[in-house]
Amino acid sequence: MNEERKPSECPAPAADAAEAKTGMPDLLTVSPSPHARRGVTTSHLMRDVMIALVPATVWGVYLFGVRAALVVLVSILSCVAFELLTEIILKRTVTIADCSAALTGLLLGLNLSASVPFYVPVIGSAFAIIVVKQLFGGIGKNIMNPALAARVFLVLTWTNGMTAFPAAYDRSFDAVSSATPLAALKVGNLPAESLLDLFLGRQGGSIGEISALMLLIGGVYLLARRVITWHIPAAYLGTVAILSFLFPAAGVDRLPYMVASLCSGGLVLGAFFMATDYVTSPVTKVGRLIYGLGCGLITVFIRRFGGYSEGVSFAILIMNALVWYLDMLTKPRVYGTERRKKKAKEGGAKQ
Amino acid sequence: MKKFTFRGGTHLHEHKDTAQKSTERLPEPQTVSIPLSQHIGVHAKPVVGKGDYVKVGQVIGTVETGLGCPVHASVSGVVQEIVTRYNAVGTPIQNIIIENDGNHEMFEGIKPWSKPLDETTAEEVISLVREAGISGLGGATFPTYAKLQSAIGKADRVIVNCAECEPYITANHRLLLERGDTVISGMEVVMRALNIPEGILAVEDNKMDAVAHLQSRLEKRHQLGRKDDIRICVMKTKYPQGDERQLVYALTGKEIPAGKLPADVGCLILNAETTAAISRAFWRGLPLVSRIVTVAGDCVKEPKNVRAPLGASCRDLIAFCGGLTKVPKKMISGGPMMGYAQWDPDAPIAKTTSAVLLFSEEYDRINTLHTACIHCGMCVSHCPMHLMPNYLVQHAKARNYEQAQKLNVMSCVECGTCSYNCPAGVEIVQYIRVAKNAIRNAAKKN
Repeated sequence: MNEERKPSECPAPAADAAEAKTGMPDLLTVSPSPHARRGVTTSHLMRDVMIALVPATVWGVYLFGVRAALVVLVSILSCVAFELLTEIILKRTVTIADCSAALTGLLLGLNLSASVPFYVPVIGSAFAIIVVKQLFGGIGKNIMNPALAARVFLVLTWTNGMTAFPAAYDRSFDAVSSATPLAALKVGNLPAESLLDLFLGRQGGSIGEISALMLLIGGVYLLARRVITWHIPAAYLGTVAILSFLFPAAGVDRLPYMVASLCSGGLVLGAFFMATDYVTSPVTKVGRLIYGLGCGLITVFIRRFGGYSEGVSFAILIMNALVWYLDMLTKPRVYGTERRKKKAKEGGAKQ
Repeated sequence: MKKFTFRGGTHLHEHKDTAQKSTERLPEPQTVSIPLSQHIGVHAKPVVGKGDYVKVGQVIGTVETGLGCPVHASVSGVVQEIVTRYNAVGTPIQNIIIENDGNHEMFEGIKPWSKPLDETTAEEVISLVREAGISGLGGATFPTYAKLQSAIGKADRVIVNCAECEPYITANHRLLLERGDTVISGMEVVMRALNIPEGILAVEDNKMDAVAHLQSRLEKRHQLGRKDDIRICVMKTKYPQGDERQLVYALTGKEIPAGKLPADVGCLILNAETTAAISRAFWRGLPLVSRIVTVAGDCVKEPKNVRAPLGASCRDLIAFCGGLTKVPKKMISGGPMMGYAQWDPDAPIAKTTSAVLLFSEEYDRINTLHTACIHCGMCVSHCPMHLMPNYLVQHAKARNYEQAQKLNVMSCVECGTCSYNCPAGVEIVQYIRVAKNAIRNAAKKN
């Protein structure tokens, strides 16, 4: 023990011999409880999400060729680079090791067409990291999902390139067009692809959104690792499924229409990987269900009645803005406090 | 078998390394330093002076009025001096230092209670428990006699808390295996005296050997014609199952209203070792002068359960466990979730010291990683009180205590489940403590 730190009226410390024997340090660290941690950190969680996205990424690269891999890579690297730069300039702690910027880059890349010029992911990354993330205060402070906000920014500023996709197995981009399954659904037709093709991902679209199967594998991994809970994906996909089953387009069978709605566009990617982004989703279970429900409703409305054929990005961004209210609305009842109904009754009696 | 549990909470890394090792008695220490306050309430006043010869079980400090109970000598020997030392939380406390003569001479005044149990009144048992200096040995630090007093006429159920949900600690587990009968007879004393019809031994399912042992003792007891009013409830191993609020909910489905005691919902909760101490005080007249301490952690060579006289130094216990293999960074009194980090390696074992844990820099590294909250909601889904710790931290950081109070910050039991699960390493409990203190201080001013 350090003599100076010890109150003067305390007895002298034990003999040095005992000190040497027990190997006690000069000073012990005093800190508040708890003194134990699970050991799962933010970077572990972010890494798990990236691992869960591997099947979908590999499938995209298989379908659209090496260029798809390059788009994703450029996106990841520029996100990390912008995060590093902004943090140095703003004199913040550098947080690129937590993998959150890399994950944003991966998600942004997966949301792009494989045929985009390379400056598109760079501009998108700049918007995602600098404007949406760092200017709001860095990790944990952003009010919108950076990758999705960047995607919407790109769709608004560079509409043609963002809505034209190569067809499946088109690795040289001969037939880049906007005739995706979603576009067919938009005009009230079933897509040309078979439902199995849609589910497996033999369709045109963004690099990472095309294979429902691969995304489901990743989603199950996230659920098994308890990185996400089932509430948001279940509520989101469930809402879209029920609505498209109940209200199919005129002259189209219900079941195929429902399956096609679920398996085309960015729905599965959005439901498992974008809507579940911690920072921009509610923390309560009921809140998550309502949030998923809202995402589903808005997605279906935009797809059916909106100007765009895809509504996932807008739906999630709109619900992002409501997260705080959803959390406050769905506060769990604290242990030992009265149940709401009872409280209202008693309050009424008093008046 | 039905397993009882509660909503929320988390399964911790258990580290119950000492569960299969018998309790060993600490060799007589050279000196003991007995604090005159070892629980909530009034500090005792010394009734012996320097140079007096005291025997084991002799009263050396008394409390005349207010909440508190007497303090007894844990060894026989000469009082060396009476000094003021700081305890783990920084309160200056008088300590009586006794030089041990090693003879373990018992005080003549120690004799079993004179009347049979059936003729003993509640008041008599309560005064006996007070005179034996028994306070909660689970770390709650509440004088047991006061707890019994508050339960008269209210409690219709005694729950003996053998959950032991903190990692590392196995002191209660060993007690149940080695002294199961003593715990059961302690329950019997309380139940007869306070006229309580039902007794529950609440054990987590990571101690099934203790459950089997207790079951066989209860059957034996039943065969001998005793009343069959004690049963065992097995609970899922989940932290903080040993918290009285979660215990009551798991076993009865009732919630203790905020600011109320278990007695208000008809439950009297006693720690297993406290119950054994009540049995010893009644049947043998022994005051509380020793306790079982789990000595463990990654720095300890041979982790053990040690029965140590109160006032023995932590250093003595560590030496008895083969010393240290690594340089410790922290020494924790109690469990890693709710225990106090000690600054003094010579700190005495008090009635509240259920464990002495030594952790190295390596073990502690994960505790020093602090990043920004990512709103993951782990704290919310695991909170046993169903609070929203992430928002409480936000309000505490902004010193917006009114908002924190609206989110029931005062209901927090500081169990640490939120901080344990936090991937960002936010010191959630500490922010909540700051908010709670500020709110308490503001209330005092008004």
